[in-house]
Amino acid sequence: MNLAIDLMQAFLLIAVAPLVSGVVARCKARVQNRRGASLWRPYAELLKLFCKEDLVPDTASALFRFAPAILFAATVTAAAFIPVLHPAALFGVSGDIIFLVYLLAIGRFFLMLGAMDGGSSFGGMGASREALVSALAEAPLLLALISVAILTHTVSVSGIVTTTLQQNPFHLSAVYAFALGALVLVALAEAGRIPVDNPATHLELTMIHEAMVLEYSGPSLALIEWASAIKLTLIMALLIGLFAPWGMATNASITVLLFAPLLFFFKLVVLAATIAIIECSMAKLRMYLVPDFLGMASALAILAVSFTALMR
Amino acid sequence: MMQIVFNSFFSVLLMLPAVTLLCRRSQRMRSLPSMLLLVALLAGTLVAAVSFWQGNGLALDLSWAVPFPFVITVDRLSALFLLLICAVGAPVTLFSTSYIERHYSAAKADWLWRLLPLFLLSMALVVTASTAFAFLCGWELMTLFTAGLILIDGDSEGRRHNIFIYLLMMHAGAAAVIASFFLFLPHASALDYTSMRAAAAVMPAGLRTAIFLLSFVGFGTKAGVVPFHLWLPKAHPIAPSPVSALMSAVMLKTAIYGFVRFTFDFLGGGPAWWGYLVLLVGAATGLLGILYALTEHDMKRLLAYSSVENIGIIYLALGAALVFMANNAPAWAAAALVAALLHALNHALFKSLLFLGAGAISDVTHTIDIELMGGLLKRMRVTGTLFLIGCCAIIGLPLLNGFVSEWMIFRSFIAASELPGLSCAVILPLMAGVLALIGGIAVAVFAKLYGVAFLGRARSLQAEQATEVQKSMQAAMALLAAACLMIGILPGLVVTPMTVLASELLHSPALPEAALSVTRALPLIAACVAGLIVALASFRRIKRITATWACGLPALTSRMQYSSAAFSKPLRRVFARVYKAERTVDVQYTHQPYFAKSIVYRSVRTTSFEKSLYRPGVDAIVNMAQRLRKLQTGNMQVYLLYIFLALIALLIWMRFA
Repeated sequence: MNLAIDLMQAFLLIAVAPLVSGVVARCKARVQNRRGASLWRPYAELLKLFCKEDLVPDTASALFRFAPAILFAATVTAAAFIPVLHPAALFGVSGDIIFLVYLLAIGRFFLMLGAMDGGSSFGGMGASREALVSALAEAPLLLALISVAILTHTVSVSGIVTTTLQQNPFHLSAVYAFALGALVLVALAEAGRIPVDNPATHLELTMIHEAMVLEYSGPSLALIEWASAIKLTLIMALLIGLFAPWGMATNASITVLLFAPLLFFFKLVVLAATIAIIECSMAKLRMYLVPDFLGMASALAILAVSFTALMR
Repeated sequence: MMQIVFNSFFSVLLMLPAVTLLCRRSQRMRSLPSMLLLVALLAGTLVAAVSFWQGNGLALDLSWAVPFPFVITVDRLSALFLLLICAVGAPVTLFSTSYIERHYSAAKADWLWRLLPLFLLSMALVVTASTAFAFLCGWELMTLFTAGLILIDGDSEGRRHNIFIYLLMMHAGAAAVIASFFLFLPHASALDYTSMRAAAAVMPAGLRTAIFLLSFVGFGTKAGVVPFHLWLPKAHPIAPSPVSALMSAVMLKTAIYGFVRFTFDFLGGGPAWWGYLVLLVGAATGLLGILYALTEHDMKRLLAYSSVENIGIIYLALGAALVFMANNAPAWAAAALVAALLHALNHALFKSLLFLGAGAISDVTHTIDIELMGGLLKRMRVTGTLFLIGCCAIIGLPLLNGFVSEWMIFRSFIAASELPGLSCAVILPLMAGVLALIGGIAVAVFAKLYGVAFLGRARSLQAEQATEVQKSMQAAMALLAAACLMIGILPGLVVTPMTVLASELLHSPALPEAALSVTRALPLIAACVAGLIVALASFRRIKRITATWACGLPALTSRMQYSSAAFSKPLRRVFARVYKAERTVDVQYTHQPYFAKSIVYRSVRTTSFEKSLYRPGVDAIVNMAQRLRKLQTGNMQVYLLYIFLALIALLIWMRFA
């Protein structure tokens, strides 16, 4: 039964990911006073891309076509770390926060290489900027996760969620506030959202993620887009799991199991709306202000870790 | 049986130079020395592996042959490092068989085949010696043989200068090592390891601290920790590629061995500040090493700086182990020590793979400047793929060995939060942030290296004409890559005996379960990722080859690609304070201020260590030497006066003493 739920929630995370992108886009449209496209548009786009042929630049090597597969595989495996419906996951017990962060790094590294294989300056520029963002984002991401791990005395993802779930929701620690702040900032950078990157365009000023995937098309592009959507969803699910897991099914009764997904979707929509509001109310940062942005995240994460020791 | 193999391993290495001399004349016997060396190294690997896994001691007493105690003993710690030397040495030798033939004249090749076994022998001696004299013999010979090996590639002015700096710093380091050995003498009856261990237990604290500091500086110089790293990026890149591989992958590890032997085995840990000192130096070494690597576009210099970085990571783990020991947490200290030893082994494997890769590339493109490569993966599929495995391993991606050791270091940092002391509960978890930053920049460095050298368009004619290297070179790299994969997916194979080693060394209880959980999680997750990749890759996609999007231009040229300097610019800008680049813009005008005839832009990264740390000391020594020169007049009478004065002084001293 538990295994079934584990599998189901992993598939849920993967299947629902394009919908989350749709919801963010719809929320953005509403904030901007537009009607917006259908919620299901990302699925239609993926289907369209999967039916097309793969255009490969003449300079590219075999790595160009392998990179999206590796990115997708690593992201999907990372999704199997995240507890969604109940406080356990397929790799949740043995899989820990360090593993999770490094699995995401696999995809990022290969996407950078794939971008550079196109042989144009777009890919190189995107990869170079992605290298900057990811180099500076890794430390605050890990430190913030570590602070929560220290607080719950475990590094396994489901262990952290289980312990948090047993806590009184009002028994808040300052560590959580700092860690949440740091993680939100890092999440925006990792998922390539405003104010770090603009997912809507590949033009000059933003040129990170969209510039990296410029040479990709067809099924390869579909895999990359889907993987990015999964990454966004899994970061959201991780935030939910770490900071607001209440409502997850602690036993396997039917009512709880029906209630848990509904609550999870509600939390996802709230987070999606938050992202939409942030994206509509802020401008994208200048490239060289991004280190300051991530520096702020690092400062919050360092405070979070220091407070775990100071407040025990 | 093992003993016989072990003895013959040493004697074969010792005899090989003579064999080279004998085989010089005959064309048919030319490959005999390399084959013998290969067989000896394989035998050495076998012996070391068996005694590492089983822990049975081997000993070889050669005191009859030399006028001082000269004993070789293999305990578990020695066996691990002997395994590292032989297991890396064998593929490097295999690589050299075709590399040396293709690159060097017969005379130079002979010299290489004479010095290479002796270099390996000296390293084996360092890690297996159990008397101070045997250790110091190996330690000194190691330096001299590498200097000789570097000289084979040429002795131009610049190279001689680099070798001079190398020898100078090595001897300064060796002096510190010798001093730290001799400081045992007041309490030890003899300078063999057993009596030194016993002496350390009864020593006053001040003497222990002196020994620790001297050995830290002495071994740190060899390992290349900041600020003693100066020689490393000068000496490693100018050696022949197989020798660079051995220097970076193996020789640095002998320094790690020495430090572990002194600090953990002899002294058995110390006050917490030792650990913090090592942590601080490790963090600085790791960060500066990787930041300097970021700016390089000379492949071998980049790899040399990345060795500095990895040494920093190893020292971070060793520092954590010392802090745990000082805080009475021996089990976690053992875990951190295992992490350090595993990272040393891992670094030896992937760094030699990368250096051999650099050698293979320079074999076909005749350059080590990555700005002149590009598009090599299409032309050298095997080398390119194996090099990619090395890159993924060195940045610690899961499924490869680098991840396992980095994970264990992270895990032990996190575990420090459970310690009662406030400072360690804050500082060690924060060190995880430093390690993550180092890792993040390493991703950028190796994405740059691989992307610029292997992907995209060829950036020069040589790169365009590159072809795959010889099979034996490929096989050598494939062996190392396979080892990286094996440890990455089934780390238990080497971690289990290492845990036994660490528990024995620190007299600690069994390692905490949490410290090793990754070794159990890995196979399953690896299977999942690998299965998904295979499934997705076999999914058929219709492929059409087109031109890269050129914004409407007719075609792109290789100069329109992002270069190595451009790739690293954003990060270099963020860390501009570290680099202290000196920029000069020299504009020649035809008409002020608008019409320039020529603009010359130079940007030089100053090594601030050389400038502000070493320069004053060097200047002072030269200054003093200049003054002392006045004593040397060259006049016979003055020298007779000196002798007379010395005699008078001695007589007076004898009268009153």
